[in-house]
Amino acid sequence: MANVFVVTSGKGGVGKTTISANIGCALATAGKKVCLIDADIGLKNLDIALGLENRVVHTILDVTNGKVGAQEALVRHKQLKGLYLLAASQIATKEMISPEDMKKVINSLYKNFDYIIIDSPAGIERGFRNAIAGAEKAIVVTTPELPAITDADRVIGLLENHGMDESNILLIINRFKKNMVKKGDMLTQEDIKENLAIDILGILPDSEAIIVATNRGVPVILGDDNHSAIARVIENISSRLQGEDIPIDRDLIQPQSGGFVDFFKRIFKRER
Amino acid sequence: MFFGLFRKRKKKAKKEGSRNDAKDRLNSIVSSRRRSVPIQDIVPQEVLDGSEVDVKNQIRHYVSEKYNVKEENVKVQFEEHNGYVVIITNVVFH
Repeated sequence: MANVFVVTSGKGGVGKTTISANIGCALATAGKKVCLIDADIGLKNLDIALGLENRVVHTILDVTNGKVGAQEALVRHKQLKGLYLLAASQIATKEMISPEDMKKVINSLYKNFDYIIIDSPAGIERGFRNAIAGAEKAIVVTTPELPAITDADRVIGLLENHGMDESNILLIINRFKKNMVKKGDMLTQEDIKENLAIDILGILPDSEAIIVATNRGVPVILGDDNHSAIARVIENISSRLQGEDIPIDRDLIQPQSGGFVDFFKRIFKRER
Repeated sequence: MFFGLFRKRKKKAKKEGSRNDAKDRLNSIVSSRRRSVPIQDIVPQEVLDGSEVDVKNQIRHYVSEKYNVKEENVKVQFEEHNGYVVIITNVVFH
Protein backbone atom coordinates (compact mmCIF):
# COMPACT_ATOMS: atom_id res chain seq x y z
CA MET A 1 0.00 0.00 0.00
CA ALA A 2 1.40 3.33 -1.05
CA ASN A 3 1.96 6.52 0.91
CA VAL A 4 0.37 9.14 -1.34
CA PHE A 5 1.94 12.59 -1.20
CA VAL A 6 1.08 15.72 -3.16
CA VAL A 7 3.84 18.29 -3.67
CA THR A 8 2.23 21.71 -3.83
CA SER A 9 2.93 25.38 -3.14
CA GLY A 10 0.41 27.87 -4.43
CA LYS A 11 3.09 30.07 -5.96
CA GLY A 12 4.80 28.96 -9.14
CA GLY A 13 8.54 28.59 -9.63
CA VAL A 14 9.43 27.56 -6.09
CA GLY A 15 10.79 24.16 -7.14
CA LYS A 16 7.90 21.69 -6.81
CA THR A 17 8.83 19.66 -9.88
CA THR A 18 12.54 19.50 -9.11
CA ILE A 19 11.81 18.48 -5.53
CA SER A 20 9.27 15.83 -6.64
CA ALA A 21 11.78 14.36 -9.10
CA ASN A 22 14.60 14.31 -6.58
CA ILE A 23 12.58 12.89 -3.68
CA GLY A 24 11.28 10.20 -6.04
CA CYS A 25 14.84 9.32 -7.07
CA ALA A 26 16.07 9.33 -3.46
CA LEU A 27 13.30 6.98 -2.33
CA ALA A 28 13.89 4.68 -5.32
CA THR A 29 17.63 4.69 -4.57
CA ALA A 30 16.73 3.55 -1.05
CA GLY A 31 15.02 0.53 -2.61
CA LYS A 32 11.43 1.77 -2.54
CA LYS A 33 9.01 1.41 -5.42
CA VAL A 34 7.95 4.92 -6.37
CA CYS A 35 5.43 6.35 -8.83
CA LEU A 36 5.67 10.02 -9.77
CA ILE A 37 2.50 11.53 -11.23
CA ASP A 38 2.66 14.79 -13.15
CA ALA A 39 -0.61 16.59 -12.41
CA ASP A 40 0.49 19.78 -14.16
CA ILE A 41 -1.57 19.08 -17.27
CA GLY A 42 -0.84 21.44 -20.15
CA LEU A 43 2.43 22.65 -18.58
CA LYS A 44 4.12 19.34 -17.84
CA ASN A 45 7.76 19.36 -16.72
CA LEU A 46 8.35 16.32 -14.55
CA ASP A 47 9.39 14.15 -17.53
CA ILE A 48 11.97 16.80 -18.46
CA ALA A 49 13.35 17.01 -14.90
CA LEU A 50 13.79 13.23 -14.95
CA GLY A 51 15.23 13.13 -18.50
CA LEU A 52 12.36 10.92 -19.68
CA GLU A 53 10.71 13.28 -22.18
CA ASN A 54 11.55 11.04 -25.15
CA ARG A 55 10.20 7.91 -23.53
CA VAL A 56 6.65 9.09 -22.84
CA VAL A 57 4.13 7.22 -24.99
CA HIS A 58 0.92 7.52 -22.97
CA THR A 59 -0.19 10.27 -20.64
CA ILE A 60 -2.59 10.53 -17.71
CA LEU A 61 -5.28 11.72 -20.13
CA ASP A 62 -5.04 8.41 -22.04
CA VAL A 63 -5.66 6.66 -18.71
CA THR A 64 -8.67 8.77 -17.72
CA ASN A 65 -10.09 8.41 -21.26
CA GLY A 66 -9.83 4.64 -20.91
CA LYS A 67 -7.39 4.19 -23.81
CA VAL A 68 -4.86 2.41 -21.61
CA GLY A 69 -4.61 1.23 -18.02
CA ALA A 70 -2.59 3.29 -15.49
CA GLN A 71 0.06 0.57 -15.21
CA GLU A 72 0.48 0.49 -18.99
CA ALA A 73 0.98 4.25 -19.20
CA LEU A 74 3.91 4.30 -16.78
CA VAL A 75 7.44 5.05 -17.95
CA ARG A 76 10.28 3.41 -16.06
CA HIS A 77 13.34 5.47 -15.17
CA LYS A 78 16.52 4.71 -17.08
CA GLN A 79 18.77 4.14 -14.07
CA LEU A 80 16.37 3.39 -11.23
CA LYS A 81 14.27 0.29 -11.69
CA GLY A 82 11.95 1.17 -8.85
CA LEU A 83 11.01 4.61 -10.20
CA TYR A 84 8.09 5.14 -12.58
CA LEU A 85 6.47 8.22 -14.10
CA LEU A 86 2.90 8.84 -15.15
CA ALA A 87 3.35 11.83 -17.44
CA ALA A 88 0.92 14.66 -18.07
CA SER A 89 -0.31 15.67 -21.47
CA GLN A 90 1.08 18.82 -23.09
CA ILE A 91 -1.90 19.48 -25.35
CA ALA A 92 -4.69 18.86 -22.83
CA THR A 93 -6.06 21.34 -20.31
CA LYS A 94 -6.56 20.86 -16.57
CA GLU A 95 -10.33 20.90 -17.01
CA MET A 96 -10.17 17.68 -19.06
CA ILE A 97 -9.48 15.73 -15.85
CA SER A 98 -11.65 15.79 -12.74
CA PRO A 99 -10.71 15.12 -9.10
CA GLU A 100 -12.71 11.87 -9.37
CA ASP A 101 -10.59 10.76 -12.36
CA MET A 102 -7.47 11.45 -10.35
CA LYS A 103 -8.73 9.39 -7.42
CA LYS A 104 -9.43 6.47 -9.76
CA VAL A 105 -5.91 6.65 -11.25
CA ILE A 106 -4.34 6.65 -7.79
CA ASN A 107 -6.54 3.80 -6.60
CA SER A 108 -5.42 1.68 -9.53
CA LEU A 109 -1.74 2.27 -8.68
CA TYR A 110 -2.10 2.20 -4.89
CA LYS A 111 -1.29 -1.46 -4.30
CA ASN A 112 1.75 -1.63 -6.54
CA PHE A 113 3.89 1.11 -4.99
CA ASP A 114 5.46 2.12 -1.69
CA TYR A 115 5.20 5.82 -2.52
CA ILE A 116 3.08 7.81 -4.95
CA ILE A 117 4.21 11.42 -5.37
CA ILE A 118 1.92 13.84 -7.21
CA ASP A 119 3.48 16.99 -8.64
CA SER A 120 0.82 19.69 -8.38
CA PRO A 121 0.57 22.69 -10.69
CA ALA A 122 0.86 26.21 -9.28
CA GLY A 123 -2.35 27.97 -8.29
CA ILE A 124 -5.39 26.90 -6.32
CA GLU A 125 -7.83 26.19 -9.14
CA ARG A 126 -8.87 22.99 -10.91
CA GLY A 127 -5.33 21.64 -11.37
CA PHE A 128 -4.64 21.99 -7.65
CA ARG A 129 -7.97 20.34 -6.75
CA ASN A 130 -7.13 17.45 -9.10
CA ALA A 131 -3.68 17.02 -7.58
CA ILE A 132 -4.86 16.91 -3.95
CA ALA A 133 -7.93 14.75 -4.62
CA GLY A 134 -6.28 11.38 -4.03
CA ALA A 135 -3.48 12.47 -1.69
CA GLU A 136 -3.25 11.45 1.96
CA LYS A 137 -0.39 13.76 2.85
CA ALA A 138 0.99 17.01 1.44
CA ILE A 139 4.41 18.51 1.05
CA VAL A 140 4.13 22.29 0.78
CA VAL A 141 7.13 23.92 -0.88
CA THR A 142 8.06 27.53 -0.24
CA THR A 143 11.05 29.80 -0.65
CA PRO A 144 11.96 32.21 2.18
CA GLU A 145 10.20 35.15 0.49
CA LEU A 146 6.91 36.77 1.49
CA PRO A 147 4.85 36.04 -1.66
CA ALA A 148 5.74 32.35 -1.56
CA ILE A 149 5.11 32.03 2.20
CA THR A 150 1.75 33.80 2.11
CA ASP A 151 0.66 31.60 -0.82
CA ALA A 152 1.83 28.55 1.13
CA ASP A 153 -0.32 29.70 4.05
CA ARG A 154 -3.35 29.93 1.78
CA VAL A 155 -2.65 26.45 0.40
CA ILE A 156 -2.31 25.00 3.91
CA GLY A 157 -5.73 26.46 4.72
CA LEU A 158 -7.21 24.86 1.60
CA LEU A 159 -5.61 21.50 2.38
CA GLU A 160 -7.09 21.59 5.89
CA ASN A 161 -10.42 22.55 4.41
CA HIS A 162 -10.13 19.53 2.13
CA GLY A 163 -9.98 17.42 5.29
CA MET A 164 -6.23 16.90 5.57
CA ASP A 165 -4.97 16.92 9.14
CA GLU A 166 -2.31 19.48 10.06
CA SER A 167 0.07 16.65 11.04
CA ASN A 168 -0.09 15.33 7.47
CA ILE A 169 1.04 18.61 5.94
CA LEU A 170 4.80 19.06 5.83
CA LEU A 171 6.91 22.00 4.75
CA ILE A 172 10.01 22.18 2.57
CA ILE A 173 11.89 25.47 2.50
CA ASN A 174 13.71 25.75 -0.80
CA ARG A 175 16.51 28.12 -1.94
CA PHE A 176 17.53 28.88 1.63
CA LYS A 177 20.54 31.20 1.78
CA LYS A 178 22.44 30.73 5.01
CA ASN A 179 24.71 33.72 4.40
CA MET A 180 21.71 36.04 3.93
CA VAL A 181 20.15 34.72 7.14
CA LYS A 182 23.44 35.42 8.92
CA LYS A 183 23.41 38.99 7.61
CA GLY A 184 19.83 39.41 8.80
CA ASP A 185 18.49 39.76 5.27
CA MET A 186 16.39 36.61 5.05
CA LEU A 187 13.71 34.98 7.19
CA THR A 188 14.95 32.07 9.26
CA GLN A 189 13.37 28.61 9.29
CA GLU A 190 11.93 29.42 12.74
CA ASP A 191 10.25 32.59 11.41
CA ILE A 192 8.60 30.59 8.62
CA LYS A 193 7.59 27.70 10.87
CA GLU A 194 6.11 30.08 13.44
CA ASN A 195 3.86 31.67 10.82
CA LEU A 196 2.82 28.57 8.89
CA ALA A 197 2.49 26.38 12.00
CA ILE A 198 3.37 23.08 10.31
CA ASP A 199 6.36 20.78 10.69
CA ILE A 200 9.42 21.26 8.49
CA LEU A 201 10.40 18.26 6.37
CA GLY A 202 13.58 19.78 4.97
CA ILE A 203 15.55 22.91 4.22
CA LEU A 204 17.14 22.92 0.79
CA PRO A 205 19.99 25.36 0.19
CA ASP A 206 20.12 27.55 -2.89
CA SER A 207 22.23 25.58 -5.33
CA GLU A 208 23.71 25.90 -8.80
CA ALA A 209 23.92 22.11 -8.95
CA ILE A 210 20.15 22.02 -9.51
CA ILE A 211 20.42 24.09 -12.72
CA VAL A 212 23.20 21.85 -14.03
CA ALA A 213 21.21 18.74 -13.14
CA THR A 214 18.05 20.02 -14.86
CA ASN A 215 20.07 20.92 -17.98
CA ARG A 216 21.31 17.35 -18.13
CA GLY A 217 17.97 15.75 -17.27
CA VAL A 218 19.62 13.91 -14.41
CA PRO A 219 18.25 14.67 -10.92
CA VAL A 220 20.97 16.06 -8.67
CA ILE A 221 21.16 12.99 -6.44
CA LEU A 222 21.95 10.80 -9.45
CA GLY A 223 24.44 13.15 -11.13
CA ASP A 224 28.03 14.25 -10.58
CA ASP A 225 26.97 16.52 -7.72
CA ASN A 226 25.50 13.70 -5.67
CA HIS A 227 27.75 14.62 -2.73
CA SER A 228 26.68 18.28 -2.77
CA ALA A 229 24.86 19.92 0.14
CA ILE A 230 21.53 19.82 -1.72
CA ALA A 231 21.85 16.12 -2.55
CA ARG A 232 22.53 15.37 1.10
CA VAL A 233 19.41 17.30 2.19
CA ILE A 234 17.28 15.42 -0.35
CA GLU A 235 18.58 12.17 1.13
CA ASN A 236 17.67 13.48 4.60
CA ILE A 237 14.14 14.28 3.36
CA SER A 238 13.80 10.81 1.84
CA SER A 239 14.94 9.24 5.12
CA ARG A 240 12.45 11.36 7.10
CA LEU A 241 9.65 10.25 4.78
CA GLN A 242 10.66 6.67 5.52
CA GLY A 243 10.26 7.35 9.23
CA GLU A 244 13.83 8.08 10.28
CA ASP A 245 14.34 10.78 12.88
CA ILE A 246 16.92 13.14 11.41
CA PRO A 247 17.15 16.59 13.06
CA ILE A 248 16.27 19.49 10.74
CA ASP A 249 19.43 21.35 11.81
CA ARG A 250 21.45 18.73 9.96
CA ASP A 251 20.13 20.17 6.67
CA LEU A 252 22.00 23.38 7.36
CA ILE A 253 25.41 21.79 7.91
CA GLN A 254 27.73 22.31 4.96
CA PRO A 255 29.46 19.15 3.69
CA GLN A 256 33.08 19.12 4.79
CA SER A 257 35.69 19.58 2.08
CA GLY A 258 38.70 17.30 1.91
CA GLY A 259 41.00 19.93 3.43
CA PHE A 260 44.28 21.23 2.01
CA VAL A 261 44.79 18.50 -0.62
CA ASP A 262 41.19 18.79 -1.79
CA PHE A 263 41.60 22.55 -2.13
CA PHE A 264 44.50 22.13 -4.60
CA LYS A 265 42.69 19.32 -6.42
CA ARG A 266 39.73 21.65 -6.99
CA ILE A 267 42.02 24.39 -8.37
CA PHE A 268 43.71 22.11 -10.90
CA LYS A 269 40.44 20.41 -11.84
CA ARG A 270 38.96 23.73 -12.93
CA GLU A 271 38.33 23.90 -16.67
CA ARG A 272 39.90 26.83 -18.55
CA MET B 1 33.38 66.26 0.28
CA PHE B 2 35.72 64.81 2.90
CA PHE B 3 33.00 65.10 5.58
CA GLY B 4 30.39 63.87 3.14
CA LEU B 5 32.24 60.52 2.87
CA PHE B 6 31.96 60.02 6.63
CA ARG B 7 28.28 60.88 6.59
CA LYS B 8 27.59 58.17 4.00
CA ARG B 9 29.51 55.62 6.06
CA LYS B 10 27.50 56.50 9.12
CA LYS B 11 24.27 55.96 7.20
CA LYS B 12 25.43 52.54 6.02
CA ALA B 13 26.30 51.42 9.52
CA LYS B 14 22.80 52.30 10.71
CA LYS B 15 21.13 50.18 7.99
CA GLU B 16 19.43 47.11 9.45
CA GLY B 17 18.83 43.75 7.77
CA SER B 18 15.54 43.30 5.97
CA ARG B 19 14.62 40.19 7.95
CA ASN B 20 12.80 42.16 10.63
CA ASP B 21 10.73 44.00 8.01
CA ALA B 22 9.85 40.71 6.36
CA LYS B 23 8.97 39.16 9.74
CA ASP B 24 6.66 42.02 10.70
CA ARG B 25 4.97 42.06 7.31
CA LEU B 26 4.54 38.28 7.31
CA ASN B 27 3.04 38.37 10.80
CA SER B 28 0.53 41.01 9.78
CA ILE B 29 -0.42 39.21 6.55
CA VAL B 30 -0.71 35.70 7.97
CA SER B 31 -2.28 36.57 11.31
CA SER B 32 -5.01 38.73 9.75
CA ARG B 33 -5.91 36.08 7.23
CA ARG B 34 -8.92 33.92 8.02
CA ARG B 35 -7.95 30.30 7.65
CA SER B 36 -10.82 28.06 6.66
CA VAL B 37 -11.67 25.44 9.26
CA PRO B 38 -13.00 22.08 8.05
CA ILE B 39 -16.41 21.37 9.55
CA GLN B 40 -16.93 17.71 10.34
CA ASP B 41 -19.82 17.96 12.80
CA ILE B 42 -22.87 19.82 11.64
CA VAL B 43 -25.14 21.14 14.37
CA PRO B 44 -28.54 19.45 13.98
CA GLN B 45 -31.58 21.57 13.13
CA GLU B 46 -33.25 20.70 16.46
CA VAL B 47 -30.33 22.17 18.37
CA LEU B 48 -30.40 25.29 16.21
CA ASP B 49 -34.12 25.63 16.77
CA GLY B 50 -33.54 25.43 20.51
CA SER B 51 -32.23 28.11 22.72
CA GLU B 52 -29.57 30.54 21.59
CA VAL B 53 -27.50 29.63 24.62
CA ASP B 54 -27.10 26.02 23.47
CA VAL B 55 -25.87 27.10 20.05
CA LYS B 56 -23.44 29.55 21.63
CA ASN B 57 -22.16 26.82 23.97
CA GLN B 58 -21.62 24.41 21.07
CA ILE B 59 -19.63 27.01 19.15
CA ARG B 60 -17.66 27.95 22.28
CA HIS B 61 -16.83 24.29 22.92
CA TYR B 62 -15.78 23.64 19.32
CA VAL B 63 -13.57 26.74 19.11
CA SER B 64 -11.96 26.10 22.50
CA GLU B 65 -11.04 22.55 21.43
CA LYS B 66 -9.86 23.61 17.98
CA TYR B 67 -7.58 26.40 19.19
CA ASN B 68 -6.75 24.91 22.59
CA VAL B 69 -8.02 27.87 24.62
CA LYS B 70 -10.29 28.04 27.67
CA GLU B 71 -14.03 28.23 26.98
CA GLU B 72 -14.14 31.50 28.92
CA ASN B 73 -11.78 33.00 26.32
CA VAL B 74 -14.30 32.43 23.53
CA LYS B 75 -17.01 35.02 23.15
CA VAL B 76 -19.91 34.35 20.81
CA GLN B 77 -22.39 36.98 19.68
CA PHE B 78 -25.36 36.75 17.33
CA GLU B 79 -26.38 39.68 15.18
CA GLU B 80 -28.90 40.03 12.41
CA HIS B 81 -27.89 41.80 9.22
CA ASN B 82 -30.22 42.03 6.23
CA GLY B 83 -32.13 38.93 7.24
CA TYR B 84 -29.00 36.84 7.90
CA VAL B 85 -27.85 35.65 11.29
CA VAL B 86 -24.20 36.62 11.65
CA ILE B 87 -22.22 34.71 14.27
CA ILE B 88 -19.32 36.74 15.62
CA THR B 89 -16.75 34.71 17.52
CA ASN B 90 -13.92 36.39 19.38
CA VAL B 91 -11.07 34.28 20.71
CA VAL B 92 -8.62 35.63 23.27
CA PHE B 93 -5.42 33.62 22.85
CA HIS B 94 -3.32 35.32 25.50
